[in-house]
Amino acid sequence: MNDIILRTANLGKLYKKRWAAQDINLEVHRGDVFGFLGPNGAGKSTSIRMILSLIKPTTGTVELFGYDLFKQRELALQNVAGIVEKPDFYLYLTAYRNMQIVGSLTLGKSPADKKIMETLDIVGLSERALDKVKTFSHGMKQRLGIAQALLCDPQLIMLDEPTNGLDPQGMKEVRELIVRLTTERGITVFLSSHLLNEVEQVATRMAIINKGKMIVQGSVEELLKVNANKFLFHVEPIKKTLGLLAKIKTVSGIAQTEEGIIAKVNPKNIPSVINELVKAKCKVFSVQPKHSLEEYFLEITGET
Amino acid sequence: MLNLIYWELFKTYSKWRTYIGFIAVGVLIPIIMWIMWIEGGKFIQYQLRTMQSEFLITGNLFNGWAIAQIIMNGLWVHVPALIALVAGDQLSGEATAGTFRLTLIRPVSRTKILNAKYIATLMYTASLVIGIALLSIGLGIWIFGTGDLIALDKEGIVILPESNLIYHFLFAYVLAIWSMFVVASLAFFISSFVENAIGPIIITMTIIAIFYIITFLPVESVENIKPWLFTTHMNVWQQALRDPFDWDIIRDSVLILGAYNGAFWGATLLIFKRKDILS
Repeated sequence: MNDIILRTANLGKLYKKRWAAQDINLEVHRGDVFGFLGPNGAGKSTSIRMILSLIKPTTGTVELFGYDLFKQRELALQNVAGIVEKPDFYLYLTAYRNMQIVGSLTLGKSPADKKIMETLDIVGLSERALDKVKTFSHGMKQRLGIAQALLCDPQLIMLDEPTNGLDPQGMKEVRELIVRLTTERGITVFLSSHLLNEVEQVATRMAIINKGKMIVQGSVEELLKVNANKFLFHVEPIKKTLGLLAKIKTVSGIAQTEEGIIAKVNPKNIPSVINELVKAKCKVFSVQPKHSLEEYFLEITGET
Repeated sequence: MLNLIYWELFKTYSKWRTYIGFIAVGVLIPIIMWIMWIEGGKFIQYQLRTMQSEFLITGNLFNGWAIAQIIMNGLWVHVPALIALVAGDQLSGEATAGTFRLTLIRPVSRTKILNAKYIATLMYTASLVIGIALLSIGLGIWIFGTGDLIALDKEGIVILPESNLIYHFLFAYVLAIWSMFVVASLAFFISSFVENAIGPIIITMTIIAIFYIITFLPVESVENIKPWLFTTHMNVWQQALRDPFDWDIIRDSVLILGAYNGAFWGATLLIFKRKDILS
């Protein structure tokens, strides 16, 4: 179950004199929720468009399920579905007709009525199946986008910013759906996003891209371990605490930030550090681990 | 492939703009017939004024066939615009709406998708011309009755007997459809590199206008290129209202129009296959 179903090698796109994406080397394993992180304009959408054959790359190759995308396109895309940026539909047609069109492009014939209705039901749109898409809200179009992606039972779904424009409830629903797709249906999800907490909550592996170049790739757990010893101290008085922490041998990398004091401490030494501070009559309000994806992302992209 | 063509036709005929052509024709033809009903006698008298001094003309010459011929001559300038309205939207419309992001990530080759769209465009073009044919002949015969047809052209007059007219007109409309395919192919080609629906219509009509101007320009320096312009052959349908047919002219025109169709289709395919979908 650890086979690679998407592999890109030196994938790049040059627009005039600017590389929109360069040397993108991705490996997505079967069963992953693969987070593709990067700030706006980093090259995420360009990379996804190349992987889905919407854009012809300037350099590199894409392999999907072992097939070369540019030599065996139809076989490579047979088990792939996706939403690239916002989902757009034939607004003058009903949701049902849109599903039929998309399904027939993949299957070579219209999907069964039952299948369409079941898929629309998953995203809560079965009652609006016969309404024209132009009457749908943005959130409904987003859900219809997920429905069309699910329709032909793909093994890999590429989602480009799937929660864009959704309200918090909608975002939560999409996140839950992504987890369900992987756990219940065994679908691999490639999730591109600039929302760090979104990726942190659902992704098992991730890659970070910035200014068109891929910076890092690996399992979320392993990548976050790099910062596992960082803690945020909410204490008073600040100056006294800074002095005290500097004297403790097991503490290093002390820095004062707007949030409080950040320091590197082995988690097993935290009780003794707190004990020292309390003994010195410092008020300790909280000590929190500081190894969120956001921290890691900002550090690695040099934004801190 | 049939499945793809079916859905392209479904999409085409689900759009409001597709019916603008049929509505325009459906309104214009009855208006022309109404005017003909009131003023038509004078019109036919004017057309036959030189003949009446030398020939004795009897029977119903101002009949449905004559009306259909007059309408075909009259509408031939406007029909290309109605065709470009739909053909020019086939690719640019999807680019603008962003639906290429939905369809071109599927395991179907771009060539098949383009061919399905092209065939749907040609079928729309044919259906519009057939619509004009049915309405002008049907309504014409219903209102004005039937009879022989006097066809006038640069070389003189031809009197076609009523019994053969159905075959002449069938052939004329087949040739008309073939020449209108060039307009559809041109608009389709332009829509492959433009991302709005208005551009292809304007560019198509501009190209046709320029070609027509050159075709009718009485200047010796352009005489050599005239035979190669598609506008020179757009009225090939008039050859079907002759007796006997001039097969050399018909063959040359059909081949040149066919070459334009092939060239526009080939160029569109080349562009579409390489096109980056950025919308």
